[in-house]
Amino acid sequence: MSTAAVPHDTAAHAQAHHEHIPFIRKYIFSTDHKVIGIQFMFMSLFFLLLGGLLAMAMRWQIAFPYNETAGFQGQPLPGGDLLPETMVVQGIMLPEFYNALVTMHGTIMVFFAIMPLLVGVWANYLIPLQIGAPDMAFPRINMMSFWLAFGAGLLMLASFAVTGGAANAGWTGYTPLSINDLYSGVKTGQQLWALSLTILGFSSLMGSVNYITTLINMRAPGMTWFRLPLSTWALLITSILILLAVPVLAGGLIMMFFDQTIGTNFFKPETGGQPLLWQHLFWFFGHPEVYILILPAMGFVSDIIANGARKPIFGYHAMVWAIIAIGFIGWIVWGHHMFMSGMNPMLGGFFMVTTLIIAVPSAIKTFNWLGTVWRGNIRFHTPMLFALSFVALFVIGGLSGVPLAAAPVDIPLHDTYFVVAHIHYVLVGGSLFGIFAAITFWFPKMFGRTMNETLGKVHWALTFVFFNLTFFPMHMLGSGGMMRRLYDPTQYPHIASMQDTNIFITWCALILFAAQLIFMWNFLWSLFKGKLAGENPWEANSLEWTAPSPPPHGNWGDRVPVVHRGPYEYSAPGATADYQLQTEAPTGQPLPATH
Amino acid sequence: MAEHTAPAGAPASSHGEHKAPNYYLIWLILFVVTVAEVGVAFISQIPKTVLILILLAMAIYKAFLVAMYYMHLKFEPRRMWLIVTAPLPLAVILVVIVLREGW
Amino acid sequence: MSTAAAPSMEHGTSSFGVYNLKLGMWVFLLSEVMFFTGLIGSYIILRFANPDQFAVPGAVLNVPLTALNTFILICSSVSMVKAFADVQAGNQAGLKKWLLVTALLGMVFLGIQAIEYTVLASEGFVPMAERYAAHGRAGGHETLGGPLYGTTFYTMTGFHGTHVSIGVACLWWCVFQAYRGRYTANSHGGIEIMGLYWHFVDLVWIILFTIVYLI
Repeated sequence: MSTAAVPHDTAAHAQAHHEHIPFIRKYIFSTDHKVIGIQFMFMSLFFLLLGGLLAMAMRWQIAFPYNETAGFQGQPLPGGDLLPETMVVQGIMLPEFYNALVTMHGTIMVFFAIMPLLVGVWANYLIPLQIGAPDMAFPRINMMSFWLAFGAGLLMLASFAVTGGAANAGWTGYTPLSINDLYSGVKTGQQLWALSLTILGFSSLMGSVNYITTLINMRAPGMTWFRLPLSTWALLITSILILLAVPVLAGGLIMMFFDQTIGTNFFKPETGGQPLLWQHLFWFFGHPEVYILILPAMGFVSDIIANGARKPIFGYHAMVWAIIAIGFIGWIVWGHHMFMSGMNPMLGGFFMVTTLIIAVPSAIKTFNWLGTVWRGNIRFHTPMLFALSFVALFVIGGLSGVPLAAAPVDIPLHDTYFVVAHIHYVLVGGSLFGIFAAITFWFPKMFGRTMNETLGKVHWALTFVFFNLTFFPMHMLGSGGMMRRLYDPTQYPHIASMQDTNIFITWCALILFAAQLIFMWNFLWSLFKGKLAGENPWEANSLEWTAPSPPPHGNWGDRVPVVHRGPYEYSAPGATADYQLQTEAPTGQPLPATH
Repeated sequence: MAEHTAPAGAPASSHGEHKAPNYYLIWLILFVVTVAEVGVAFISQIPKTVLILILLAMAIYKAFLVAMYYMHLKFEPRRMWLIVTAPLPLAVILVVIVLREGW
Repeated sequence: MSTAAAPSMEHGTSSFGVYNLKLGMWVFLLSEVMFFTGLIGSYIILRFANPDQFAVPGAVLNVPLTALNTFILICSSVSMVKAFADVQAGNQAGLKKWLLVTALLGMVFLGIQAIEYTVLASEGFVPMAERYAAHGRAGGHETLGGPLYGTTFYTMTGFHGTHVSIGVACLWWCVFQAYRGRYTANSHGGIEIMGLYWHFVDLVWIILFTIVYLI
């Protein structure tokens, strides 16, 4: 590994190595990108657990509703006696509470679990390490970004405890339901929802300014754009999407908050406002948001698959351009969430075409992943298992998107369980599997210890099987006409006939949830008792694997990595090992000019 | 604004040697165009659509001057222009498409 | 903290040649463009949909006063850029003077806007839809426009005003730091990014003034 001798600031060096930093500055109010990434991780894993619990309660109600006339006796909700009478009465939850569960499950999972797990954790942790920088461009702003997100999370949690309960107008907060407590029954909860998400938006914006500046300005010598790992590329495009989409949501949320509190009428039809304006603003953000939720996972999967297959990623340049294309086209597809909203049908035609087009770059990526594993010497370690199943499950999710993209076909499918199946295949089968792949892959680097492989594989197998058993049948339910956000499926005969499927799904969901406890156990146990990890346990190439596990403050101390090659030189002909770190000097060739 | 010193090693002003623009001249142009705008806005003979276009053009021109000369965009590397103009097509797309709703 | 970045910065691979603070501020301003797009874009859309809820230029809003305010803000942009030019040239006295002028002009802008709001509210032009009863500058009993006018006007100009207020607070901080000698000819990134933010606020107002007051 070649390093450059660099004149450095002795004072900073001394501080990094010798000065005793108090616990609070080191772990609580730290400006170190790695600590901040880990803080995001603990916060988001908590919210992931909470979001899952909410879903379990929902599934219980769906499977065991109380419907005397249709002959369904219901089952008391486990733990329901702990909840107040405004939520659960004699073991059966109230419809308003069910709506709150639906809303909060979606809101918490999207905004406080998946998004921070993909961006807050990994953009913070990986970007400086993968580009060879000692930290982010603006470390203090980075710290503020975490604490703002934390504060937003507290507000969201607080909304459960206020009069009227938590927001219940859906995670999409459609107006006028979300601005009129006469219809929703929830006043303060909806206000807190809008406020919390606005604050979270600020947090994300601060993060993205940091990530973009750092990526442009602080790459190590030799780290040209096309030597960046795909994780980094994905995080860059994701950060740009956040930068430009979140402010529009913020504007909309502020308008909503004013409608709720001051008495403005942006979205109130009775005084000339336009409810559909909210949908346009929300989805203008919301569609780039779903790419924010998948692109980083795609990046991680690319890196992990190349590593597991011991082969360069197939078509690296195409992969980069595909990510950029998805980022671009993602701005003009938002109306496909609104085909049935009453918007101008001509717009429906436009959005259908753009949505079908955006399937192409995703397909390119899929074929390139397949091309990567083709004839590879595959190591089926836990991260690889999650990464490979990501590809399969994301394909299924993508395929179910195609009928939804076709506006006429969307007519019967909109707001049914078909959509629920689609979103969970891409968000769980896609994003969450990508997150598990990333956590199991980078855990040794983060904590200096490896996670248990056996437990990892068991967790993967159970999650894979029960995820499919839970969500695949939902395609049938949706095609059969079962609506989303439905409190009591048995009230409609055409859905009551499918109730066995609903019960089956609930049991599988409960097992799926229980299987996550294996991951939790593995994670927590390995933090303290895992086998000590070396610098490069996966024999990977990118820069983070040249730093100690875990890296110190400043990552490489006074040695600045110098990059000589791309990140995918696995099984290169003539090389001594089947991998070559990016810092490995080329043999006998002149060093390329730095960019 | 707490981080007020550029990090060591970074140039204090990255746009190299160039003649400073005449800030007062730009100010004068901005003043004149503003007065013209207010004047034009109250000429009732101009059809509404044309009036809107003229006023928007004047506003955009003023914004362009502020960005180019006061924010020194003219003297920044060309890649910066690419970054800076990125949100503009998005802004246009959002407004134009939703206007098609024809409410 | 920034010293830890020093080793990498000296040998960094930089695509743009624009230092961190400046690049960061430009990137942040892009997000602000999108924020105001959301607000102003919504105004345009709502106005097209309900033209009868808005009034002709000058009927409700005070165009001459606001034109003066626009002029004041433009002047503050000149003083800001003069402050930057002076610190680049090592003229500390000029820096302090022009920063003070900018901060004061900013406060004048806010003051005039506050007066404008008060007068408008007394004429019945308010953001709350239920209480909207604008009878305009000429007085009279007829209500001009509708609730959407008040709703959109106060939201857009209010958020712009909030940005100006934050800018003024930051300007005072810069003044304070300037008196402590923190900006030199070789190191004045803080002034440059202050300028970028301030000019941006001026730029948004240029667009807002035209769209809201003159169209």
